Amino acid sequence: MTNENQTYFEDVELGDEIGPLEKVATDEGVVDFCTLWGNPIPNRFTSDEEAAKAKLPGPIVPGVMSMSLMAQLITDWAGPDGLKDLDVVFRQPVPHNKPLIITGTINDTRQEDGENVVQCDVLMTGTEGERYIIGTALVSLPSRS
Amino acid sequence: MYFDLHCHSVSSDDSRATVEQYLKWIQVLRKRGYTVDGIVLTEHRKFDFDKDYSQLADDYGVIVLKGSELDTRFGHFLVYNVTQGLANDIDFADVRMDARELMKAAQHHGALAIPAHPGRFGIGLVEFMDKGETFEDVKIVERLNGGGRPGENERADELCDSMGYLGTGASDAHLASHVCTCMTNFGMDICNEEDLVAALLSGEFSPVRLEETSIT
Repeated sequence: MTNENQTYFEDVELGDEIGPLEKVATDEGVVDFCTLWGNPIPNRFTSDEEAAKAKLPGPIVPGVMSMSLMAQLITDWAGPDGLKDLDVVFRQPVPHNKPLIITGTINDTRQEDGENVVQCDVLMTGTEGERYIIGTALVSLPSRS
Repeated sequence: MYFDLHCHSVSSDDSRATVEQYLKWIQVLRKRGYTVDGIVLTEHRKFDFDKDYSQLADDYGVIVLKGSELDTRFGHFLVYNVTQGLANDIDFADVRMDARELMKAAQHHGALAIPAHPGRFGIGLVEFMDKGETFEDVKIVERLNGGGRPGENERADELCDSMGYLGTGASDAHLASHVCTCMTNFGMDICNEEDLVAALLSGEFSPVRLEETSIT
């Protein structure tokens, strides 16, 4: 039996796009994330002063928070158990309170040890062409049969 | 012939694309009606003498050439037709090298070094020229860079127009799906790195965006 909300391996092709998912990491959202994460506040993610000490132009979004936003793109598409690996490169600091556009592109599909594996390029950009984070995700998808 | 003159495989520390993924993606582009003949892998601060991509190139019908992207104190430079002699004379890992010495050494060894993304804010050649630095050996620059932020390619355009430089195009891809977004269109056949340098020195080339290669 198939689920109409589930993405299946047979349905994807090289070049298919995933998203976009638009998120904003607000000041409050970053504070909440740091609190949950256990990172003492204030820190360079929440305070102008601490950010300046780290030679940053302002408080930035924590890397793990950015990764969690990127992971959401994949889990929204593939289901909560689909994401096997997310490997990213941080190219620019991710700012608070600005739209973050997250997109994916399927660049490989293959079967490995009986598993249906999809590889995607993933990208977090700004609205003015900033490339904050690039990376790849490995996704496992179920088969229709 | 359409060549992407600047892309990075996983041999560069900040890339997440294998060479085979690039070649698979080029098949996707071809299916969409675009023309791609070859790519040049320009790994950061190194040259992969030991890597042979000829079998992959044959399998996918794409010419795969090798080069380098070197850091200098005057920005990044793409080097084509790297030889062992050049690698003996220049420390590819030296991020403070003088680009002028690199260009002269490249020329001496039959290679060619050109500024990458000269309009890039903070690190592009334009920044250094604005401070009064001069580069008499620069004749060609990477005019169209697929990784550029708004305004950067425009600064490269202004540089080319004001200095009379010739301009190449390239993707600067670090992900498979970014390869060949910008390329260089050559008026002659290119089979290897020596041909590439000859084609660049001929001056018969122009930068293009992928969309301009569509055959449909």
